[in-house]
Amino acid sequence: MTRAVLVVDDDQFIRKLVATTLEDVSEFDLHEASDGVEALEVAQEKQPAIVFLDVDMPRMDGIDTCRRMRQDPLTNHATIVMLTAAHGDQTERLAVEAGADMFLTKPFSPLELLRLVDRLGDNR
Amino acid sequence: MELRGETELTQEISRLRRELALREREAADNALQLERYAADLREVFLEERSRAQELKRSYYATVRALSNAVEARDAYTGKHAERVAAYGVEIARAYGLASPDAPEIEFGFLLHDIGKVAISDSILHKPDALTDEERRKVRRHPEKGEQILHGIEFLQDAAKVVRSHHERWDGSGYPDHLRGDEIPVAARVFAVADVFDALTTERPYRPASTIAQARSMIKAGSGTQFDPRVIEAFNTIGDETFEQIGQRIR
Repeated sequence: MTRAVLVVDDDQFIRKLVATTLEDVSEFDLHEASDGVEALEVAQEKQPAIVFLDVDMPRMDGIDTCRRMRQDPLTNHATIVMLTAAHGDQTERLAVEAGADMFLTKPFSPLELLRLVDRLGDNR
Repeated sequence: MELRGETELTQEISRLRRELALREREAADNALQLERYAADLREVFLEERSRAQELKRSYYATVRALSNAVEARDAYTGKHAERVAAYGVEIARAYGLASPDAPEIEFGFLLHDIGKVAISDSILHKPDALTDEERRKVRRHPEKGEQILHGIEFLQDAAKVVRSHHERWDGSGYPDHLRGDEIPVAARVFAVADVFDALTTERPYRPASTIAQARSMIKAGSGTQFDPRVIEAFNTIGDETFEQIGQRIR
């Protein structure tokens, strides 16, 4: 049983912030990736239970990454949380079609982040 | 040659401008994100503070209820525990002990006689003199009280006062015959407050002493029944402070 969380964002500041927020709070191991291509590699290796996925990224965007994770039996079990900008109805529609489970709107609330991971951790 | 150089320079400048605009947007986003963290931090802090206050209030209410339950059996002492607690807090403050943020001392004062719930009515309300056996039972109430509070973490300081509230400075008290500084300081403070309240309260068999009379009787016990330093602190408190408490709690 995997207990990994993967944080994918091209902004190192956000990756660091999410990692620091979740550090020591959840039982999950934290992993990071800075774009979609790297995310798929790490996801195949670590098979995370939860993936936080930014939308706008170089090389491969979050929507495409999400779709590919869903198509891969090694990674399709993950709960995928899209990190979206506040005004993005169109993005959310695309993300749902790609198989995203939920959304965390930037700037996200750290409390919401913690509660979400807590809830997902309990459901295992 | 020079023209091409200029074009490249122009291109480089506009590339840098785009890069700068991107970085500025990122910095603005990150600032917003940090503000969100600050907002959540503030929310958690306020929640935590109000929970701590609520906890404090319910601790206090619980202790008051327990103390009132003990008092209810004792017809003529009235609000003795509440008054003793108020006097005791004043003396503790004068001694440099109590702070308004540390109600633990007051809890011990309020609950000092909780062990009396283990004494039967026939002994507690006996109008005649007690037999030796009955007196022994009564004198066990400090230990009983401590046992009752055992395991209640927020009352562990109070439990010490409960156990030692009948000790005397010269070692002739009970149950442990502690002497001087061996007696917990809050219990030494309590002893003075307890006697002060007993003296200044009317009893069926005698009138209430005046504050001046009570003061001189207490002074006579300095060094034998009472800690002399506690008496010193007690003496710095004006009559009006005691009068106000006596009138407020009756």
